[in-house]
Formats: sequence, C-alpha cells, structure tokens
Amino acid sequence: MRSVLAIARKDLRLMFRDKGDVFFTFVFPVLLAMLFGFVFRGAATGGSRIAVALVVESDSRIAAGLAEDLAGDASLDVRRVTTREEATDGVRDGTFTAAIILPQSMQAGADRLFSGGSIPIEAIIDPVRRAEAGLIQGKLNELAFRQFPKLLADDAQSKRMFQSMREAIAASKDMGAAQKLAAGALIATAESFVKSMPGGDAGSKPAAGGAGAAWSPVQVRMQELPPRTGVPRSSFDVSVPQGMVWGIAGCVGAFAASVVTERSRGTLVRLRLAPITRAHLLAGKGLACFVTALLVELLLIVLAVTLVGTRVAQPGMLALACVLSAFAFAGLAMLIAGFCRTEAEANGAGRGALLLLALIGGGTIPLFFMPPILQTLSYASPFRWAVIAIEGPLWRDVAPAAQVTPLVVLAGLGFGGFAAGSRLGAFRDAR
Amino acid sequence: MLTLRDIRRSFGSTTAVDGLSLQVQAGEVFGLLGPNGAGKSTTIAIATGLLRPDAGSVDLLGLGSPADAEVRRHLGLAPQEIALYGELTARENLRFLADLYGLADARSRVEGLLAMVELDARADDRTEGFSGGMKRRLNLAAALVHGPRLVMLDEPTAGVDPQSRNRILELVRTLAAGGTTVLYTTHYMEEAAKLCDRVGIIDHGRMLDVGTVPELLARHGGTAGEASDLESAFLALTGRSLRE
Ligand SMILES: Nc1ncnc2c1ncn2[C@@H]1O[C@H](COP(=O)(O)OP(=O)(O)O)[C@@H](O)[C@H]1O
Ligand SMILES: [Mg+2]
Repeated sequence: MRSVLAIARKDLRLMFRDKGDVFFTFVFPVLLAMLFGFVFRGAATGGSRIAVALVVESDSRIAAGLAEDLAGDASLDVRRVTTREEATDGVRDGTFTAAIILPQSMQAGADRLFSGGSIPIEAIIDPVRRAEAGLIQGKLNELAFRQFPKLLADDAQSKRMFQSMREAIAASKDMGAAQKLAAGALIATAESFVKSMPGGDAGSKPAAGGAGAAWSPVQVRMQELPPRTGVPRSSFDVSVPQGMVWGIAGCVGAFAASVVTERSRGTLVRLRLAPITRAHLLAGKGLACFVTALLVELLLIVLAVTLVGTRVAQPGMLALACVLSAFAFAGLAMLIAGFCRTEAEANGAGRGALLLLALIGGGTIPLFFMPPILQTLSYASPFRWAVIAIEGPLWRDVAPAAQVTPLVVLAGLGFGGFAAGSRLGAFRDAR
Repeated sequence: MLTLRDIRRSFGSTTAVDGLSLQVQAGEVFGLLGPNGAGKSTTIAIATGLLRPDAGSVDLLGLGSPADAEVRRHLGLAPQEIALYGELTARENLRFLADLYGLADARSRVEGLLAMVELDARADDRTEGFSGGMKRRLNLAAALVHGPRLVMLDEPTAGVDPQSRNRILELVRTLAAGGTTVLYTTHYMEEAAKLCDRVGIIDHGRMLDVGTVPELLARHGGTAGEASDLESAFLALTGRSLRE
C-alpha cells in the first residue's frame, strides 16, 4: 500500500510540475466552461433583452398603461400570454426569465392610492435568475410610478381617488372634527389643482411615498418558482460538464503518457526492479489519475457554485457521480497507457483518441443539442456517461433510478480499463 | 552471490549474449570489462531479471530467480542510462524510491545517501538541471537506497568529469568495505585494474577469461618488455577491430 501511495504521490508531483499538463487539465477547462457559459448565457435569454411573459388580468387604465410601457422597454422582451398558468410554465421551461402579472386588484389599489392603498403587481421568477429578478423588480417600480401622472390626469380616476380619500377621512376615528374639516379643504384644493393640470403629462416622476416611509404606492410581489428540473437552468449548467470533459481528457492524456515516459526516461527499470507487482504500479498511477480527475471536477463545481451561482440539485449523488467518473477515467488512462509503447503513440494516437471521444461525448456540442446520429454515436464515449451521470444530480434532478445506468457503466469502465490495461503491452513487462 | 549459467539472448539477428556463465562471490567487486556492444548491459539486464534470457538460468544469493520480488529486494542497479525523474528534486527522487521499497527509516537513509554522493547542498534542486556528474552520482545513490546486498553498476562513470569519477570510485570502495557485493561494468581498463577483485573480459556476448588482474596479465600480458598492463591483455583478447 505504501508503494502504491508513493507512486501516486510521485505521479501527482510530476503532473503538477508539467506546465502543459496543468494547463490542459485545469486552466483550459475552466476558461472553456466560463467562456461557453458567458457566450451562451445570452442565447438562453434571447439576446441581451430579458424575456418576460405578461399577463394582464386587470382592465384598468393603469394596467393598460403599464403593459404598454413594458412592451416599449428596451431591456425587456415582452410577450403577452393569456393565463398565469401559461406564463408560469414558460418560466419553468426557461422560455421566460420571469412572468409579470397585472392582477384584477390593480384598479382597487389605484383608487385607494391616496388613502393607504397601493398598486399590486406580481412577478414570478426562476430561482436561478435572481440576478435578473432585481432588475425586473426595479423596472416594474419605475414603470408603475410613471403611470401616476396619467392616473391624475384621468378625471374619473382622480375623482375616485379623492372620493376614497374623503371616505377615509370621514371614517377616521383619530381625527377631530376641525382636522377633518381642514383635510377636506386640502383635498378640495388638491383636486382643483389636478383638474387644472394639462392632460397626459407623463414626463416627470412624482415623489414616492409621500404619506409615510413604510408606505409604497407600488407593491411588487416577487415569487420564486421551485427549482426547475429537466432543463438547464443556466448556460453554466451545460458548460461546466463540458469543462469537465476537457479537463478529464487532459488528465487522462497526461497519465496515459506517463507510463511510456517512464519507459523512455528509464525510470520504468527502477519500478520494475522494486519489490512491487504490476497491480501496484497500475494502482499507483491510477490513483494519481483518479485524484487529478476528481480535482478537476471539484474545481469546476466550486467555481460554478461560487462565481455563477450554480445550484447543485443533489449534492450527494453528484459526489458519487464525480467519484465514479474519476474512477472510470483512471481506468481509461491505464487502458490507453497499456496500448501505447512509445511517447509518440501516447501523445499522437492516445491523445487523438481521447479528443475524438471527448468530441462525441459532449465536449463541444452538449448531448441534448446533438443530432440523433451523434447522440447514438455518443454511447461509445465514456465522456457521455460521465456527462449524463454528472448532469443528473447537478441540474436534471433525476430520480435515483435514472442514475443507475450511467453509474454502473462508469464503474464498469473503470474496472474494465484497469483489467484490460494491465494485460496490454506497456505493462506486460512490468511484472 | 550471483550465478549466471550459460545464458543466451538474441535481438533479431544480433546475438547479444552467447552462452555466458559467470559467478560473483559474496563481498567481491567483480568487473565486467568489454568494448561497446560486447553484451555487458544485456548481461546485467538478464542478471536483474529485467530481460528474459532465451536460454540459461540466473540465481541470486542462492535464493533463486530475480523474478521473485523478495529476491529482488536484495538487488540494486544503477543503469547505464540515467534513470531519474527530472522534474523531481534529488531528495524527492531518493525519497520516492525509499517509499517504494517501504523503508521504515526512509528519511535518514535518504539524507545519508545525499551526503554520501555530496549532493546535500543541491538536494532540493530538480535533477533536470544537474550536470552529468551529479546525475551519475544520484543515479548511483538511487541504486543504494534500500541497502541492497548486491549492486550492479553499469558503466557508472560514463560521461563524468574526473572529480565525479573519483568520488564514484571511492564510493564503490566504501561499499565493498561495508560488505556489499558489486558487479561493475566498464570499458575503462584503469578503473577495472584499480577497483576490481576479479575481472571478466567479455566480447561478442562471450566470457573470454576471468581472473584477478595479475592472473589476467600473466596469461595475456604479452611478451615481457612490452607494456604489461590490462589494456594490452584486453586488446590481446578482444582484438583491435573498431566497435559500435
Ligand atoms: N533492445 C535491443 N534491441 C536490439 N539490439 C540490442 C538491444 N540491446 C542490445 N542490443 C545489441 O546487443 C549487443 C550488446 O549490447 P549491450 O549489451 O548493450 O552491449 P554493451 O553494454 O556491452 O555495450 C549490441 O550489438 C547491441 O546493439
Ligand atoms: Mg552497456
């Protein structure tokens, strides 16, 4: 066991001291995952505009005005849908970043605006789109405020508002008769002032919250959907497994070549003379590859979680998938190592084969975007099984039963790789 | 200590070792002296079990073939081609081997060897930057990490400066004085003459003669008056044609 650890530690050192290997195993995959993530982030939301579904339940003037302003907003891509259900489904399946609902109760809220009421607006957002949620909330407040001059310019509307105010004052138990009288006079003055205003001036924004700090004339109620399943919630859900594919490919390439490197630099002689068996050698090198692959996976997941807010649906299952895929690729590395008798073979044919497997296994085109032929072909790639196994608990949130096949395939690949590799040329003369 | 019986090995049409027998006694420094391509390295590879002979047998310490890991434990080899990890430091190279052999006193063995080959000052430098002599010394130290009873040194002074060569020769003497058996290959006559208790002269994969240096001189030293040294004996045995 000590000799296995000695080999693993030595190979890890060699790996981390090789600038090329470190670049292709750690740096390049992270850059790729981030780049793809950011590039396709726009694509997922339909350009730089935020896609929102709009449901107008209220037939009030204010709702109509707000709908009109939302549609005209440059940062939003608004599509009218008829029901809340339709809008919610759209958010759930990623068509929309958010759904905005202008509810029936808007009219009542507007009427009571000067007597403690507020205008209700609802928004339903996807939890992974929190970044955009803040923007939408701000936008709704701003556009709602812009409706106020229109409200006041509307005679019928302002009449209702002042009427509501008078009723509120009349009903108040805190005010004395003199105060009520004074307030009534104030309202009358205000009403005549509003009537004298030129109509339709929507240029200026009235000061908000005039009657008290806690009161806001617009109440935007944001509601988060439960985390979605089955669809990538952000472009990073797709690009992180892609990064893993390339990182693992780099790592496998490095360790597959490490056996022939030992041969060409003569150190294999020392390993062969040591009182260890071929199994020790494979276990040591495999362990180093396993650890490196695991580090790549961990690095990408940690970066995704901390930098771009990726949320892991099933952490335990994800850990298992990472461990088994690292094992599978350690086995694959030993299989390729067994095939290669020269450094040229390892760096040419070995890395070439890996590149091909990574390509058809989802390294560039995400599996679910692939045309059917490629999808079928991808079954031959170990990378496909790793991507499936990792995506399942990362964002697909699949049932445990659905994880069984990819995990079993990965475990089989690992055992098969070690078993077959140990019988191949490069290891055969290592006892 | 080491017995090779009638070993043969060919590579394609080249016969590298052609029915060679050899016996190295415990505690002696045995020199295998031969021109380039004589079959020295092939003989060593067979003796260490790295290469399978086409025919013949190998016995180490009376324990059997080096195919057995427990037998191999007693064997150290400094290969002709330097076998070190260039990206590792001198200390890391030796420490790796100590751990590979599962030595309990790995740290002290490594430090002792670094001092012995006078690399303690450069112990934390990567070996890729070492000079030929430094690499040779470390290559030798690597053969000794696990304290083998028999060490095979395949041309341990190839391509080194006189200082390093001298240090290596001293080291071999120290080893022998400590009771380690040494099989030493070289094509330098004076090394063999200075160092070896017995010398075997090998060419074309065959053992031409074995004996102490005085014995060899007596048998092949040429006529009295001519330079009566090992070189003339060597040339008398192996001929004057140029080699690989
Ligand atoms: N792996 C090999 N493949 C083919 N020929 C070899 C191989 N190893 C050695 N030889 C040949 O066998 C002969 C003996 O080589 P070697 O044992 O290395 O000689 P020495 O160590 O005495 O210089 C040489 O002719 C050499 O070319
Ligand atoms: Mg040689």
